[in-house]
Amino acid sequence: MAALELRGIGVRFGTFDAVKDVSLAVHAGEVVGLIGPNGAGKTVTFNVITGLQAPSRGAVLLDGVDVTRVPAHQRTAQGLARTFQVVQLFSGMTVVENLMVAAHRFTTGGVISDAVRLPGRRRALASARERAVSVLAFLKLQHLADIEVSSLPVGQARLVELARALCLKPKVLLLDEPASGLDPAETAAFVALLAEVRATLGCAVLLVEHDMGVVMPLCDHVVVMNFGEVLAEGSPAEIRSNPLVQSAYLGGAA
Amino acid sequence: MKLYLALALGGIPIGAMYALQALGIVLVYKTSRVFNFATGAIGMACAFLASALTGHGAPVLVALVLAVALGVLLGMAIELSTRPVQGTLPRTIVTLGWLLVLTGGVGLIYGDTVATQQPAQVLPSGIAIDIGIKKYGWDQVTVLLVAAALVVALAWFFRATALGTATRAVSEAPDAARLLGISVDRVNLVAWGIGGATSGLAGVLITPLLQKLDTTTLVVFTVQALAAALVGRLSSMPLTLAGGLALGIVQPVVHTFTDRHIPGIHGGTDELTAFIVVLVALLLFRRTGRRDSVGGGLAPSPIRPLPRGWTALAFAGGVALVGLVLPLLVDDIGNLSRVSIAQTAVWAIAVLSLVLLVGVVGQVSVCQAVFMGVGAFGAGIAMAHDVPFLLAVPIGALLAAGVAALVGLPAVRLEPLELAIATLALAFTADRFLYSWVPFASRSGNRDVPRPGFAGLDPGHASAGQRNYAWLVIAVLVVGSFAVASLRRGRTGAALTALRSSEPATAAMGFSVASVKLRGFAAAGFLAGIAGGLYAGLGQSASGSPFDFTRSITLLAYAVIVGVGSVPAAVLGGMVVTLSTLTFGSTADVASNRAVSASTLVTGVVLIGVLALAPRGISGLLARLRRDPAPPAVKDEIPELVAV
Repeated sequence: MAALELRGIGVRFGTFDAVKDVSLAVHAGEVVGLIGPNGAGKTVTFNVITGLQAPSRGAVLLDGVDVTRVPAHQRTAQGLARTFQVVQLFSGMTVVENLMVAAHRFTTGGVISDAVRLPGRRRALASARERAVSVLAFLKLQHLADIEVSSLPVGQARLVELARALCLKPKVLLLDEPASGLDPAETAAFVALLAEVRATLGCAVLLVEHDMGVVMPLCDHVVVMNFGEVLAEGSPAEIRSNPLVQSAYLGGAA
Repeated sequence: MKLYLALALGGIPIGAMYALQALGIVLVYKTSRVFNFATGAIGMACAFLASALTGHGAPVLVALVLAVALGVLLGMAIELSTRPVQGTLPRTIVTLGWLLVLTGGVGLIYGDTVATQQPAQVLPSGIAIDIGIKKYGWDQVTVLLVAAALVVALAWFFRATALGTATRAVSEAPDAARLLGISVDRVNLVAWGIGGATSGLAGVLITPLLQKLDTTTLVVFTVQALAAALVGRLSSMPLTLAGGLALGIVQPVVHTFTDRHIPGIHGGTDELTAFIVVLVALLLFRRTGRRDSVGGGLAPSPIRPLPRGWTALAFAGGVALVGLVLPLLVDDIGNLSRVSIAQTAVWAIAVLSLVLLVGVVGQVSVCQAVFMGVGAFGAGIAMAHDVPFLLAVPIGALLAAGVAALVGLPAVRLEPLELAIATLALAFTADRFLYSWVPFASRSGNRDVPRPGFAGLDPGHASAGQRNYAWLVIAVLVVGSFAVASLRRGRTGAALTALRSSEPATAAMGFSVASVKLRGFAAAGFLAGIAGGLYAGLGQSASGSPFDFTRSITLLAYAVIVGVGSVPAAVLGGMVVTLSTLTFGSTADVASNRAVSASTLVTGVVLIGVLALAPRGISGLLARLRRDPAPPAVKDEIPELVAV
């Protein structure tokens, strides 16, 4: 069973079909790249998976469970985690505090238990911190723990955002253009880290990316979208030599 | 039926005046994304000027022109005073400061002679049209024509003039407009000037229609103007006019209907109608375009850990000592009595609820005094059912929490400005409607809230009772402060702080944005409700007057002035509020309400100054003295770059 599956997703804005009948599957331990020129419908597809956009047709399945109607924040419970195209860390908080927000998925407690300091509050904070620290250690980012996130350069901020997503213990990790804004050295570091994450954690990864330098070495399978449809799919090598893909990207006649 | 038709037709001219005020709000909002909450106050000030001029024998036309000129000047002055303030939301709070300045200023000038002022008769008299069921006077027809002419003129201004086009450009993309060589400052100044003129004109024209001139009526009309502006979706001039007219038509019908058929309502249905329109419009209508920026003072401040070990012990010991000893030291001498200590602690709890709401949840409430009022009356209702005081106060506070969650609904999906609008509308509505609504208040408008025996005021026990009550309130304040500090550093606090940076990212961490926000509102409402119940206990009676709209606005003002970033600031806030309620000046000043007006005026001026010069308030200044390096500048004014 696929960790993430899209079945015939369609999204219609008025009379415009932003996405037409897109199906794809990502299995545990697999990295799938979703590529395509601007306006191909990648971001809309991504938003359908995360729950920010309701599809007009089709279904989203996580681990075989239909989550099409599940609100965005409840999809984390189904093992979904994501990063953002423009880094969205929580400013005013340190790196470890950012990670703790995610780690609180595994803790409980509300306004009352926090306000009157029920014993559960201390346990919740301790276990969230423990999880955050262990993820930072796994990614070798311990030295950043107590830095306020707005002072991080974008390369490190992307790593912290990845770490935050990993705190959710994802079965499916969605990465929205993780290399945008990174210089070649930072991109290489990110690719290396992601390869390690995938090897160690074995989660399914769906990657939306423009940078072929990221897509080609990382992905087992690549899905190419154009005009809201799946244009082609296959191994990176197949995609690279596919004339349809070349023309879509280079604008030549097919 | 015929009566209602006549009533509806009679409401049209007043509706046109709502629309006129609303047009000013829309115009200003379109260019600067600031809500001019002072629009009614500007109209009020201009109406007083016109009245004074005609009273001294000036020709009507001269009075009209000068009054409108005052409106222009006030509009421009407000714009200038918002320039040093970062963020559209703090700028909107500046307009609340002007509301206080104008009402306080006019009150200071007139003293208790306010009641004897007559509106300037700037409108022609006589019957203009008689359609059988309803006669329209020339005054009403003139007002309608003026409103219609202004809508046409403004529409023309936006479409056909260079400045109008520039205004639209500034409203869509100020930075791009700036790059094209448009002076954003000049465009804003002009828009505020025109906005001030329409507010002033509305004020001068509406007072003779109402045959009423005072310092509150026109200010309360702000709620109708807000409703009309929201019906116009903050952009369409014709829809705004339609919204104002519709409100004018509906209100007298609702008023008469409820008067005849629903017992227990003693006025305020006009405001209630407008409030409901505001809530519905906010829920249905999602503002588009640039996002609000909260700016320096209201942006989240870094959370420092609570003191631990010896520091914590020393701190707690100090608090306990002060809390225990203070009510013993001070006796009932002069102004500084045990009552004022208890009162200070009560107001500190109220400011604490704003520290929670503004500082932690990141939302702005202009009706915190209403939550107090609900808590006070709620406690009174519970005590009428023989619930003991110590249980009745939390029950009243739960009611306040419910009301807070209800008013917070529009802001759950939307941005802080929506909550500011909804809460300001509620502040006006509670003033006119809620506190005199019988199932809620009692027939006399008051409800008894007797203190528990140990803090009672039986003869011979009064002094000890006051001391015990002060201890009780101080204990609640200490527990409340500790709770807010703990909340902020706990699981929910983490989610709330995260929410203020990025809602999509917080949702991606598994938190429901709506639920977290609503719980934050409810908690702040609960705390304010506790403060209200304890306030009622001070005088052993709940009534509406301590929780009027001016109180709501000044409470927010004091919270901003002391700074909402830290919990101890709330105590400072309590002292400031108590200080503001102590009566200074001569007996004559007190009797003529000049003392109160002066306090309101000063509060407004200080609020505007603090927002411009020290956005994190007094506590922010103190924190800066303690730690030299300034906190990292909060990214501001560029949130539109963030993909959502």
